Amino acid sequence: MNKKILIITADNLGLSKEQIHYPDIEILKFPVVVNDKEYRGSNEYTAQWLNEKYLKEKVVAKTTSIVKGELIEIAEKNKDKYDLIIHVVMSSVMSIATFAIAKNVKEMYENTIPIINIDSRQVLSGVGNVLLGVIDIIKKNNNTDDIVKLSQEVIQNTFNYFVMADLNYLYRGGRIGKAKALMGSVLRITPILGLMGDDEEGQVIPLGKGRTFKQVNSKIIDLIKAKMAEKPVTVIKRLNITGFGDNEEAFSDLEEKIKTIPCDDFIIGKADFAGAVYCGPKSYSVAISI
Amino acid sequence: MIQTENRTAVIRERIEKIYKYLYRHKEYINRLNVFPVPDGDTGLNMTLTIQGALANLSDYEKETISTGEYLKDFAEQMLINSRGCSGVILSLYCQGVSQVIVNSDFSKENIFEALENGYQNAYEGTENPREGTILTLMREFKEKYGELMKEENDTVIIIKKCIPYLKEVLKKTPDMLPVLKQAGVVDSGGAGFVIILQGINRELKINELAFSSLPVSIILNINRATKKYLNGKLSNFNKNSIAALLPHLGIEKLHNIRLHNIIEDVKSLINNLQSNRNRLLNKKAIISDLKDMENSWNPEIKLKYCTEFVLETNKISSKEQIKEIIGKYGDSLIILNSGDKYKVHIHTHKPDSVFKDVSKYGELLFTKVDDMKKQHRNFISSNTIDYEREKSVFCIVSGEGFRKILKELGADDVLCYGKNKPSVEHIVKELNKLRTKNIIVAADDKDILMALKYAASLSKSNVNIVESNNVISLISMMMGISKELDITTLFDSIMNSLNDIRFCGIARSVRNTTTENGKTINKNDFFTVYNGKIILSDKNVEQLINDTIEELIKEESLITIYKGIPVKKQKSIIPKLKKSFPELDFEEYYGGQYQYHYYITFE
Repeated sequence: MNKKILIITADNLGLSKEQIHYPDIEILKFPVVVNDKEYRGSNEYTAQWLNEKYLKEKVVAKTTSIVKGELIEIAEKNKDKYDLIIHVVMSSVMSIATFAIAKNVKEMYENTIPIINIDSRQVLSGVGNVLLGVIDIIKKNNNTDDIVKLSQEVIQNTFNYFVMADLNYLYRGGRIGKAKALMGSVLRITPILGLMGDDEEGQVIPLGKGRTFKQVNSKIIDLIKAKMAEKPVTVIKRLNITGFGDNEEAFSDLEEKIKTIPCDDFIIGKADFAGAVYCGPKSYSVAISI
Repeated sequence: MIQTENRTAVIRERIEKIYKYLYRHKEYINRLNVFPVPDGDTGLNMTLTIQGALANLSDYEKETISTGEYLKDFAEQMLINSRGCSGVILSLYCQGVSQVIVNSDFSKENIFEALENGYQNAYEGTENPREGTILTLMREFKEKYGELMKEENDTVIIIKKCIPYLKEVLKKTPDMLPVLKQAGVVDSGGAGFVIILQGINRELKINELAFSSLPVSIILNINRATKKYLNGKLSNFNKNSIAALLPHLGIEKLHNIRLHNIIEDVKSLINNLQSNRNRLLNKKAIISDLKDMENSWNPEIKLKYCTEFVLETNKISSKEQIKEIIGKYGDSLIILNSGDKYKVHIHTHKPDSVFKDVSKYGELLFTKVDDMKKQHRNFISSNTIDYEREKSVFCIVSGEGFRKILKELGADDVLCYGKNKPSVEHIVKELNKLRTKNIIVAADDKDILMALKYAASLSKSNVNIVESNNVISLISMMMGISKELDITTLFDSIMNSLNDIRFCGIARSVRNTTTENGKTINKNDFFTVYNGKIILSDKNVEQLINDTIEELIKEESLITIYKGIPVKKQKSIIPKLKKSFPELDFEEYYGGQYQYHYYITFE
């Protein structure tokens, strides 16, 4: 029997809706609080809008977990239309509350419709990569056990590299993890942080540092090549580079360098509003799935 | 047992508490470490093994994972992260136990089966297993457990009742392993095992027993003082200060069994002397005992390096194959296997040959080499260092500004020596202050290298010297460093990144001179040194910097100026440079170097 499957996710994906080729999808919006006022991502409230606020008004921004009522509303609206709901959630380590809400809603609907919560163990375009990986799976196979098992493989093989021009945004958001070691240097450094799918701790880790964006771009290429050699693979399945603006030259340099790596699905992602809270201007990320 | 939703978090919390309990007793265990090599690290190795597993197995939610499965994952992580003989045997034991309780059946019968399997796994995985070691404690534990389970139903009570018995067994380990008896200690790994059981017991809300001990150096000092006293003239016995001390020495506090017994004998000798000088006890026998005991703490360490590695391979299918490849290089070989990964421990003189041979079969994921001779020297010395860290990076620089920069780039400590190069004694003191087993050290001047090498030989840590000769190399080193790497890989990566940053220095001539290519430099002129040669000079320093950048810039986009002491208070030269080179980025920092007015780097 062909199952009708609804996918739920949230808007910190590093992807625009047009880049997700699956019709049955609902995208929740993370609440973003800027100077105590709540906003949601829209055509008006974007990563660029927030960056300008950061630079010009020195605002303080943070995100909160997804809203439980909104998730229930989606489940309620769709419970009779689908056989299965798959919820691709951002890393449970990065947002315990969001994952707890997803879990709670799954339990609420235990006797109504099966819900699989997939802990992507990622943020930003890493979540996007896991989402697209899950879509690839369900297009070929709709056995629930297989979906769960194969999704885990996607998660374990998704790696996210971030270049953060200013770690204070991540620090203020409470997501700095082990990368805190890179803060407060007299010498201006640009750190490379990572969320590695095969890292059991699932925390943001420092992977390297450079003095210039060109240096860190070269280091990212080295890190990706090392990861490919470790696995080992010769071609990357999916690669998403997403820039948070105000750093075109560095982003172009990265794009040029990264195109030398063989890849089946190369995506230039979309900087999302919620992600911009933690990245700030001049940042960019590379998510790979292998 | 724990069957709640967040059971993995609960188990982790309990394991963390047991780990902390073991950690508090780390030094006690270290001080018992005489077998197989008295290198004083059993406690550290056992704690690092559990700490490694805790670090690599987070309490993230796995919706389907059971308690047994979590414990099995944990034991696998212990194997991969195991350190030293005791850590390896402990993790083998935990692997065996977890293989049985993976079904989450915590009935007394299944636990008994688990304990049996744990013992078998540890015993079979140990090359040349010996009685009187942790293995004896593991066997006695399962046997006592089996005996008690006939009369008790509660697993927790059975474990509690086993502990006093195991403490008695521990006391008997010197009778089973002569080297322990000679040294006057119980087995360190066995003691660690009992402490872990006590930790488990405590977690189950049952009372604890305290351990304490004197450092080995004090034990040996008492030994030597007693020997000296006995070697003196009998007529002077009562005049000797130790004679006055001995009757009052609280020997119940002497946990070293052998010394305890010897002191009892000495006391008896003194009492007999006082009552009847003609009835001397066998003084020679006591002195011989003392010598034996001292010798047991000073054995000849034939194989210097405690070497460990993790090999990931699909070309090796059995532990025997690994034994064939590297068995010839040493002893104390322990090989663990988990999937396609092999964790190996060996004592050898040739760690490099071991690594070279096995790396032909796969990828070395982790390597570790400890100099046991050095650790032993530290262990028995009067100022023993209790190692608190596995590895540290230490830099030696002249400039205060560079000290701050390197510290903030991640150096664990930086010695700023100012104008006068540091003495060997100073460097040794700083190295020992780090309380680290393995130190990577680099200095900003090649003239420090000799002193550094000598200091390394005197320090209590394994010191890896980076033969750097300028401070920019140290920045380059710290920029590329990743402390997650094992010490060997970290050192290799440092050596590869040492010259990543191109730079030159600008200094002022103190006399008239002529360069290699015949150019004259007048006294007080400024000149540029690049790759050890003077390439440019000028009376005007700003002009010289301009010319230098023009001459040396290639594809770089960032120029960094590090100001030295002679120009500390001078205005920034960056605004002018920006006008000359609008396409470049400039940054300026205070380095505080004495010789050069400026260092200029190109990145």
